[in-house]
Amino acid sequence: MAHRIEILAHPQDGRALQIQAMLARGGRKASVQVLDVYTIDGVDNPAVLESLAQALHNPVTQKAHIIPPQPALKNVFTYALEIGFLPGVTDNVGHTVQELLSLLSAPQAQAYSSRLYLISGDVKESDITTLSHQLANPLINRIHVKSAAQFQNDGGMDMVVPKVVLNNRGAVADEVDLGGSDAELKKLGQDGIPNADGTRRGPLGLSLLYVQAIRDYFKKKGRAPRDIEIEMLAQSWSEHCKHTIFASPIDAIKDGIYRHYIKRATNEIRARRGDKDFCVSVFSDNAGGIIFDENWLITDKVETHNSPSALDPFGGAITGIVGVNRDCLGFGQGAKPVMNRYGFCLADPRKQVDYYRDAARTQPILQPRTIMDGVIAGVNHGGNCSGIPTPQGFVYFDERYVGKPLVFAGTIGLIPRIINGKPGHEKSARAGDLIVMVGGRVGRDGIHGATFSSVALDEGSPATAVQIGDPITQKKFSDAIVKELRDKGWYSAITDNGAGGLSSSVGEMAQGSGGFVVDLDKVPLKYPGMSPWEIWISESQERMTLAVPPEHADKLIAHLAKRGSEATVIGTFTDSGHAVVQWQGETILDLDLDFIHDGVPKTPLTTTYAPQLENEPDLKTPSDYAPLLNTLLARPNIASKEFIAVQYDHEVQGGAVLKPLQGPGRVYANATITKPVLTSPRGVVLSQGLCPRMSDIDTYAMAANALDMAVRNAVAAGVDYDHLALLDNFCWCSSDEPERLGQLKRAAQAIYDLAVFYGTPFISGKDSMFNDFKGYDATGKPIKISAPPTVLISSIGVIPHVDQAISLAPKEVGDIVYLIGVTKDELGAGEYYDMHNVTGRNAPVVDAALNHKIYRQYSRAARDYLIASALGVDYGGLGAALAKKAIAGQRGLDIDLSGLDLPADKAMFSESAGRILVTVAPAHRKAFEKMFKGLPTLMLGHVAYSNKLNIKNILQADIQKLDEAYKGTFKDY
Amino acid sequence: MKAQALILAGYGLNCEEETRHAFETVGVAGKIIHINDLSENPNALDEVQILAVPGGFSYGDDTGSGNAFAQKMKLGLWEKLQTFVARDTLTIGICNGCQILTNLGLLPPKGHDYGERLVAVTYNLTARYGCRWVDVQAQAANTSPWLKGISRMRIPVAHGEGRFMMDEVVLQDLQQSGQIALEYIAPDGQPANGQFPYNPNGSMADIAGVTDPSGRVLALMPHPERGMFTWQRDDYMELKDRARRNGTPLPEHSDGLHIFANAARYFGV
Repeated sequence: MAHRIEILAHPQDGRALQIQAMLARGGRKASVQVLDVYTIDGVDNPAVLESLAQALHNPVTQKAHIIPPQPALKNVFTYALEIGFLPGVTDNVGHTVQELLSLLSAPQAQAYSSRLYLISGDVKESDITTLSHQLANPLINRIHVKSAAQFQNDGGMDMVVPKVVLNNRGAVADEVDLGGSDAELKKLGQDGIPNADGTRRGPLGLSLLYVQAIRDYFKKKGRAPRDIEIEMLAQSWSEHCKHTIFASPIDAIKDGIYRHYIKRATNEIRARRGDKDFCVSVFSDNAGGIIFDENWLITDKVETHNSPSALDPFGGAITGIVGVNRDCLGFGQGAKPVMNRYGFCLADPRKQVDYYRDAARTQPILQPRTIMDGVIAGVNHGGNCSGIPTPQGFVYFDERYVGKPLVFAGTIGLIPRIINGKPGHEKSARAGDLIVMVGGRVGRDGIHGATFSSVALDEGSPATAVQIGDPITQKKFSDAIVKELRDKGWYSAITDNGAGGLSSSVGEMAQGSGGFVVDLDKVPLKYPGMSPWEIWISESQERMTLAVPPEHADKLIAHLAKRGSEATVIGTFTDSGHAVVQWQGETILDLDLDFIHDGVPKTPLTTTYAPQLENEPDLKTPSDYAPLLNTLLARPNIASKEFIAVQYDHEVQGGAVLKPLQGPGRVYANATITKPVLTSPRGVVLSQGLCPRMSDIDTYAMAANALDMAVRNAVAAGVDYDHLALLDNFCWCSSDEPERLGQLKRAAQAIYDLAVFYGTPFISGKDSMFNDFKGYDATGKPIKISAPPTVLISSIGVIPHVDQAISLAPKEVGDIVYLIGVTKDELGAGEYYDMHNVTGRNAPVVDAALNHKIYRQYSRAARDYLIASALGVDYGGLGAALAKKAIAGQRGLDIDLSGLDLPADKAMFSESAGRILVTVAPAHRKAFEKMFKGLPTLMLGHVAYSNKLNIKNILQADIQKLDEAYKGTFKDY
Repeated sequence: MKAQALILAGYGLNCEEETRHAFETVGVAGKIIHINDLSENPNALDEVQILAVPGGFSYGDDTGSGNAFAQKMKLGLWEKLQTFVARDTLTIGICNGCQILTNLGLLPPKGHDYGERLVAVTYNLTARYGCRWVDVQAQAANTSPWLKGISRMRIPVAHGEGRFMMDEVVLQDLQQSGQIALEYIAPDGQPANGQFPYNPNGSMADIAGVTDPSGRVLALMPHPERGMFTWQRDDYMELKDRARRNGTPLPEHSDGLHIFANAARYFGV
């Protein structure tokens, strides 16, 4: 039978106080008690339960009860709210309790966690419902509310064992009939393979052309395909895995956008650099790798996890960050994760929205604040638990991200250049190597959104396809692989299990050997009863696939077991040219490897481009700039995101040098520097750039400004301009429309042009092509909200010595303030225009030739320690940049902008690219001016012994006021 | 004399490498050992002078930070641990290590036995993880070898559960026997008096660290290994700029290293 162990926290528990505060914000005065609940199934020995209860609580602050019997309640409460997980959802706390049960000699028992809140005071049931929506997500959580009377009547909360029970035990691989009409084939590609009862198994994402190619392939083979074969091809040919839009011929560009623009840029840069080329592994592996120093490579990869984050922000973001950690582990022979990056494109969290997924308006989309809190918490838990510092990131707001937030997660890795005499970035599975799956078990998680039936004691809540990451399971094998096994040379290749699960990881690795045989019966499962196709494509998290020579397999598996990680031989790599999967002694999948990888039909794309431009607005000249600047600083895109920086551990591993909050005034920086090797003086510089709103004028400007921003910020912080690489993430919308594809082509052209000019190669990229929300508004009218076409450029470079790092905060009174770069009438799609609800027309034009000269020269000035502080000018222009510098240094600035020869509003708020705002010690003035001779630099003024930002003839503002505006927006987040 | 430190790893502990680097910087040989390897070969403790339980997220903080890992140590290593701390050895628990040592009951007030859990480290008042630099003051009444010659330190904290809580009586006992090791202070040197962010977690009596009655076991929430070099400091950019202007050299080491140097000195390294 089942028992509940309830652990009551002390009344001043921080979690309880936060919930009281949440209720208070809704106008309710109540006190809250928190109980951690562990439901234990399969332990009848009272002594074991007693020991477990002892182990689960700290007697100083907590009390434990084993139920039954339900203890008499000493404290009266008004409502009880319990939140647990639905069956099949990853329950990390439950897993830990199960480990404790193993230590207490009850390894067969099952443990499930939930949390119980006893709320007393002035609350109604509707308040509790509201609270439960803030604390729980019905997609993954079970929520139980009882009034005190119900609670007394029922003798406590219910005993819920959320166990997964599947009813298709002994499932087989079904044959699929592809003999039907084109309409039937199209439906199959869209909605999935039909079940016997007429229901469908979920979308395959295969176009008619693709289904026809599969039909023709099997016609030639002379047999009908099985479900697992179609499912595998759907995974392998998906936009997610094959990047078909980037690979397809587009207009006259036969080699497609990826080869023609992105890869070609890197190839040309590498060729030009010759023996100064620092790229080592680009576009071919799970991440890109460049030289760090004579001993090490650094790797980088930035992923998107947009769709899952719209439904379950926490789960989507945590699987995003923990998933991209695996891309790092899967680079070469396995790189150690040494830094994370994050990025969120969201709707304004201060606004309430009213949109629905269904016409009946029963499924509202999540509120922007809920999405924001969830994605931030997801990266918090994933990054912090994994012991990887998360120094660098951004948040960008635009209302069109309301239905589809963009969630970026990146990981930087460190790997020796040579491991056991071989290049660390090289790997290849060999025929005869065993296929070993390492890490978590396989469940029905993330199988193309399919839901599955399950039986729980709480009337069979539907389980879910949403995944939650388990960073500790991953940390265990990550440490074992990167810190112990890799250097023993016991495996010949490694890759992660992400999209497509085993079908993708094994399929990709088999390109090295030339084939594989997998015995699906050997794959360890979370619960019995899964169909073979589900096991094969399941995206259960926290798994790596290794190719292991047979002589090393036993000791590798034994070693992982000693580290608390499960590893299992599930098959063998071959050179047969075939992908073969067996199930209960029968071959259920047999495909030519060539067909899997090269059989996808090419679909030529055509584009159009017809920009519809607004005119430049004629805005009234502002009368008072001081309050205007405060309003600008408080805008979400400019305001401080300190609350994120402090909840992400950026100090772990001990290497943080230039931190995310800079200066005594703690300004949220756009570039950071971290030492991945404590004994080396070198640092890794990280930054990024994006300008999504400029797509409303021109995607060429949008992408060019993003790239320039990513380069400029890194240069400002002191990166070696000759040792700087880039990553591209295209997040597009409606990519089946020629107009959107036309915009895409322009953006790709822009980053090609600029990257080649700057000599900054792309080393890795990822695209997400359909960021559209299709739903209904409050009146039930169908709507489509498309995210603005967004290119995120992430930069990664090396600084030769971290003592050359430059922070954004001014250092000493009397230092001279210079603006490097040219300011033009370029406010289009900028923050100032957006404040006035206009877009304008003058998007900043990036002057690549000039900026290249500036960045080169700046890099030299940084080597000579000529610059005391620097900030790349971005959102909100000079006005925002000057204010941030004054806040960071908590010192006044005396500034004169008349030398810019622009009207005051243009001078203050233009977002022209290529500009860096610096301060220089008077002693370095001559050397600085000589260094930048012939380049546009303008002396703007001085760092002042005052508490004011003083801009001649424009404004005089108290730093204290600016500080409050800058930090006020997200103060209580 | 040579001294050796054993630094625990596994199940989500994650600061073992920089903690080893701290010991090696002061001349103490550091060896990282997985908890399962130590459980298999507990005699490894006989051969070393220092045990370090580093920071991390053991078991993801599930069932309370440090709790599950402490239970694992208690079930597998308890006798050996008691023997170890009874010898003339040093033990340090940093952050998650501090939570583990308190859950093991290795920090009892004078007059109580090892194993009695009388001190808890629990959820921050903010109920949120926080990573920030703090000022801490070593308590003059504490004669721990770990703290010799240390008055103030500027080092970072990074935790979601760092709030020391205990009975008033236990607090008085700890205070009277000089077992309070470190207290959070405001930048002007005055007591933090519970004020956020100087006291980052709402800790009782601003406690940032405690020792056992012998002073040889130290449990602290801040991370000295993240503040042992000047380049790690949060004011490094300001310090290096000033040093360059004044033509003065910048010291290589920073406050946190003193803790490790004290351990080396204790064993005559």
